[in-house]
Amino acid sequence: MKKSDRSFSNLLLVLAVATFLLGFSYATVAQFTVSGTVTEEQTDQPLIGVTIQVQETGSGVVTNSQGEYEIELQGSSATLVFSYIGYQTKTFPVDSNTGTLDVTLRQDIAELGEVVVSGLGTTVKRENLANSVSSISAEELIGKSPAQTLSSNLYGKVTGAEISANSGAPGGGISIRLRGVTSINGASQPLYIVDGIYYNNDDIPNGSNAVTAAAGGGSASNQDNPVNRIADLNPEDIESIEILKGASAAAIYGQRASGGVVIITTKRGTSGGPLFSLSQRVGFTTIQKKLGMRDFTVATADSAFGSTGRTLFEEAQSQNRFIDYEEEMYGQEGLLSKTTLSTSFGNENTSFFVSGSLQDDEGIIPTTGYERQSIRANMDHRFSPSLNVAVSSNYVHSQAFRGLTNNDNSGTTFGVAMTATPNFIDLRPNEDGLYPDHPFNTSNPLQTRDLFSNGEGVDRVSTSVKANFNIWQKPNNFLTFTFNGGVDFFSQNNKLIFPSELQFERISGSPGTLIETATDNLNTNTSAILVHTFTTGNNLTITSQAGYTSFNNDQNRILTIANNILGTQTNVDQAVELNADQTKVFQRDRGFFLQEELNFDDTYIFTAGLRFDKSDRNGDVGKFYLYPKASLAWNLTNEDFWNSGTLENLKLRVAFGQTGNLSTFGAKFTSLGPSNIAGLGGVLIDETRGVENLKPERQTEIEAGIDASLASGFGSLELTVYQKSIEDMLLQRELEPSTGFDFESFNSGSMWNRGVEVGLNLLPFNTANFRWNSSINFWKNWSKVTDLPVPPFDIEGGGFGTSLGQYRIEEGESATQIVGSDPELDTNGDLVYRDDDGNVVSEEEGSLSIITKKLGDGEADFQMSFSNDVRIFNNLSLNFLLHWKKGGDNLNLTELLFDLNGTTNDYDDTDLDIADFRLEAAGLDGTETNAIKRLALLGISADHFIQDASYLRMREIGLYYDVPVSAFASLNNAIRGVRVGVSATNLFTITPYRSYDPEVSNFGNQPIGRGVEVTPFPSSKQFYAHLNIDF
Amino acid sequence: MKRLNTINKASFAIFFAALVWISGCNIIDIEDRADPNNTELQVVLDNPSRPNLSTLAVGTVSGMRVDMRIWFINHGMIGREMYRFLSAEPRNTGDLLGKENSQLDPGSFYTTRPWSAYYANIRMANILIQAASNSPAVNAEELNGILGFAKTIKAYQYLLALNLTNNNGIRRQVTDDINAVGDMLSKPDGFALIESLLDEAYTDLDNAEFIFNLPPGFSGFDDSEGFQQFNRALQARVAAYQMSDWQAVLDALDNSFIDEDGSLATGVYHDFTTQPNDETNPVFADPQAGSGDSWVAHPSFVADAENGDARVDEKVELRESEAALDGLSSNYGLAVYDSPTASIPIIRNAELILLRAEALINRNQGSDLDDAEDLLNIVRNAADLPDYSGSTTQAALTNEMLNQRRYELFFEGHRWIDMRRYDRLDNLPIDRSGDNVWISFPIPEAENVN
Repeated sequence: MKKSDRSFSNLLLVLAVATFLLGFSYATVAQFTVSGTVTEEQTDQPLIGVTIQVQETGSGVVTNSQGEYEIELQGSSATLVFSYIGYQTKTFPVDSNTGTLDVTLRQDIAELGEVVVSGLGTTVKRENLANSVSSISAEELIGKSPAQTLSSNLYGKVTGAEISANSGAPGGGISIRLRGVTSINGASQPLYIVDGIYYNNDDIPNGSNAVTAAAGGGSASNQDNPVNRIADLNPEDIESIEILKGASAAAIYGQRASGGVVIITTKRGTSGGPLFSLSQRVGFTTIQKKLGMRDFTVATADSAFGSTGRTLFEEAQSQNRFIDYEEEMYGQEGLLSKTTLSTSFGNENTSFFVSGSLQDDEGIIPTTGYERQSIRANMDHRFSPSLNVAVSSNYVHSQAFRGLTNNDNSGTTFGVAMTATPNFIDLRPNEDGLYPDHPFNTSNPLQTRDLFSNGEGVDRVSTSVKANFNIWQKPNNFLTFTFNGGVDFFSQNNKLIFPSELQFERISGSPGTLIETATDNLNTNTSAILVHTFTTGNNLTITSQAGYTSFNNDQNRILTIANNILGTQTNVDQAVELNADQTKVFQRDRGFFLQEELNFDDTYIFTAGLRFDKSDRNGDVGKFYLYPKASLAWNLTNEDFWNSGTLENLKLRVAFGQTGNLSTFGAKFTSLGPSNIAGLGGVLIDETRGVENLKPERQTEIEAGIDASLASGFGSLELTVYQKSIEDMLLQRELEPSTGFDFESFNSGSMWNRGVEVGLNLLPFNTANFRWNSSINFWKNWSKVTDLPVPPFDIEGGGFGTSLGQYRIEEGESATQIVGSDPELDTNGDLVYRDDDGNVVSEEEGSLSIITKKLGDGEADFQMSFSNDVRIFNNLSLNFLLHWKKGGDNLNLTELLFDLNGTTNDYDDTDLDIADFRLEAAGLDGTETNAIKRLALLGISADHFIQDASYLRMREIGLYYDVPVSAFASLNNAIRGVRVGVSATNLFTITPYRSYDPEVSNFGNQPIGRGVEVTPFPSSKQFYAHLNIDF
Repeated sequence: MKRLNTINKASFAIFFAALVWISGCNIIDIEDRADPNNTELQVVLDNPSRPNLSTLAVGTVSGMRVDMRIWFINHGMIGREMYRFLSAEPRNTGDLLGKENSQLDPGSFYTTRPWSAYYANIRMANILIQAASNSPAVNAEELNGILGFAKTIKAYQYLLALNLTNNNGIRRQVTDDINAVGDMLSKPDGFALIESLLDEAYTDLDNAEFIFNLPPGFSGFDDSEGFQQFNRALQARVAAYQMSDWQAVLDALDNSFIDEDGSLATGVYHDFTTQPNDETNPVFADPQAGSGDSWVAHPSFVADAENGDARVDEKVELRESEAALDGLSSNYGLAVYDSPTASIPIIRNAELILLRAEALINRNQGSDLDDAEDLLNIVRNAADLPDYSGSTTQAALTNEMLNQRRYELFFEGHRWIDMRRYDRLDNLPIDRSGDNVWISFPIPEAENVN
């Protein structure tokens, strides 16, 4: 250990000791009381739950059901801050003579008073913010119609975000891309920070690949339809979410912030109480859209399934027994239920928030579903006027049953089996419960569904401690020390049981498969920050901060695969063959940061910061990489020359920042893995060649914007443009395989994303009896790969080769372009024929030239959302969120599998338009049926796989009634509020896309290769009834 | 009371301080740790101990099996020996059979994966050579053993690559630099490289000792003398594939394990077991398996068979229901490999006898044709067929030799190559109008040769 390091740890030690020693020196001082009522400015209605906080100490109370409050204060004077979500915050100095203080709050349509994170230890009022930071309140998050997991509650609420479910399977699996593609091969999901905990969001495969062989023999693959673990967080516990969408806002988070940062704050207790909230919802879920089954005739059954098909068809016809297998497989109306009980209580020094929730959701496929039990205890304690400690803790248990869907190479998944299932065969069990064999496939999906099991159990504990110590506090001069520590541990257990009686197991050489994956993951993080705030005489406030952060991750995953099960046993030792695979992953990051913020009279706010980071993911583990940031906000309305009263606020802002992104684990190593033969131990070289000099990729973002709000409260506008450049990209290059290696990572090349985000908030009506709040968001992103020093390459997991459509990275093109085979055309648009030497010749002398060209793009043209909240008579509210994604293509290979099996619902239709030159290339005249056309084009053109995935979707709609509190007067005011309502998520979707859902990803959370579809778990919609009681 | 409090506070503070102190050492420093999951290459190069060399050698044998399933499908489908029906993978019945205007794609798995597997194993052999050459733990004979073994395997892997890419040639791997890309070699140069590797290995093995154990599939060939016979057997095949120097074929056969009186099955095999980190037979499947995922024989294999050929019943099984996909169908499931642990031949006595017959037919001196006929009869009789009774012209015997190769070596990866080298690809059955028969696979796109 070097001397300089030791002196730093000594400093930390001293600070920590000082914190604790000083924290216990408690002093008794004088006390006084202030009380009053808080009402809405325009309607005069009392506001319930307004937070009144003492600025100096951080302690506080909330208003009761009559809008009343009472707060005991120490010393002779204090400053009270009245805040309420969606209302402008007000601040009043009080002293022992104040006595009663009645306050009116005003609707804050631009949310100018909201407090937003500006550094690791500081916050800033939105009014003074130089970045576009999306904030989502609890009400916005789940107030309309709640979704099953956190990420699906964010759809359409964040400009610049592309959120996409990977499938309809219960329990999550949703990727978020903030402001375009931020990495081609590195991590792309945002960093989640929950109450100061670096919350793990890994997606850990369940090991089903051992049966599906989707990855062609690998032991684990990203086609296993995994859940990303942010799904564990209970949305009901969340107070607010802030989303930093790019480097200019997230630079202070350094090398892990390239995908953006999602900062989640959970609810905390207030003094008084105890106050209870009970929320109950029940509902059901059904499939969003069925594709339909092909109607056969004797002739078509014969041509698609041969003589067996003909016989079976005739049998079905004679019994008039045609089965809708979509209904059989996906037709369940799954019950949904969730109960949440929370309480808040405390006194002026200590407060608690405790919540528990039980969720039990069924899926649209029988035997699938998702359960979650969560308990949270958040505690705040003030040891002394200068020392506050906040503890947050959460335990979650979840259990998901996700079925078996997505791609396979063995005919075993539900979806692939369904493509081989015509309506005239009978796969249902007989009276003895025995399932017939599927005549055209290796598995009977009804049998697999009913007898197999795919469970994912997670136990997760996360805790954080935040200690805030005011080292000194003088007029206009504060120094505080903040220590933050977080621990996040989860254990995920995946257990897949394929009993030996399953059709495909019975015919295998080793019937019966058990797959067990046990994963332990531990994240720990600490930070220590000193913040100094100094206000000069001429209204200049200087906030300086310096700090240290650390992050550790250790993950250990053990996959055990057992074949040839003994009887019906399910423990992995109860089998003839056993294979195990252990994967360890670790990460150690250390960093420092400095930040300086100058605020001149709330008119000019200038911020500059530096972050230094190092990590063991880099080739040089000792090297610090520097990530700077700087920003300026100019509040024109605070200038002396500004005298128009129309605008409440007009702000110009510009911000710059850099972040990093680390290489994936293992990219540094050239290794040999075990490969035994007949009991002899051997090792075999890995397909990845290690690279020693890897460094983080670097994102530079510049954003600029205008924020304006009308003084009348009618509306506000936020307009942002950005450019995100990524340099030293972490690319995985395909090597010449003749070297013995297929891939290596390297830093090179660059790309940019440019985009525009517009948020318009309107409050056209705001009277006591009618209030209508509407927000319209628009966002669009472009990307371009500007420098690529290697030949164009295909994204692994971005398709299945050019003949079926493929995401490809190519200089000068969009990062999300999809290429595919297509006939070559000459300048006249005529087909080109070439001989064996590649010369252009006549049709008779050569063969059709098929080339690879750009056929589509995964990026949406734009996205819009339209959110409305209408409140009538203060009791009845109707709200909905409509989400429109225009453009953006998917690779639909589900349709191909249906076509190949002759079961596509539109097989016999003739309405499919194919360009003339492709018809000519495939030797078609255009009158053939849709499937014949598509099949004839296989190998000639991939164009028909690449389909427009636009949609217009009613994300959330809810109707609620607040029962007047007076109705419960007889209960001694024990009831503070009752709300009943009904809601629906994904009520309808309008899309030209020819499959279940345009939102899909066979390969899970990919930076780029999303929207590749192979027989997914179909998407569902949900209907709920709600009852919320506050007492 | 106050004093006690102070003591409590102090001890609490000391405890806390100790915690910080203990964790202090990694507050700033980060350790550069090794791969926690696998053996790093540098470890075996820096420490080429005998156990390390042994795991490398065994790994090289094991690595010969990587992606064999694709190799089987490529050869079996294009040589019209069988169909692989997999509803999830349309390219098997599309691209590989040249359906309509489809092309063999230089980026698709059937091109890239076998090629990558061969070259990864060539790399293994090169690592083994590099490690052994640096090792103080082996003497000169032991080093020769490793060199002879590794070069033979390398030659075999190059041959498998060239069998697929054929007229497009192969690429030489740079032996001691994992970052360098080697030269492209034409087909003749590729054969020359393979022959020179086999010849060098043969010489190395003259004075050599093996320090590693080989799996049961090499039994009888797991010492330097046995391995020399295996080496010459491969050399005979390589010489025959070049269709010119038939004497070289005969010479190589003389030093191989050819045994006209012995079992046709004697030879060198790939082993498969269900033990940990091992592989099972990649082409074993229930011959009755449903048509969404089935392995069936090309109908012509049964239709064209001579009456009473025992190999038909051995190698295919009549299905209870027809398997069909993509306009193709068959009533016969493949039964060549009958369990997940069935071995797969690398080269065996039957092929050597047929190679000797072939070389004699082509050399056609003196009693060569008669001798060849006798050899063909050995193979025929083993299949319960009577002696050959057809015409004994060179052309007729060539036909019979190819026919015996077709039935004896069915689904062992020969048919397509045989028809190609005798320029008879046009004679292979075309099942759907518009299908065609490929001559060569393209060089994988990632080689950037175009």
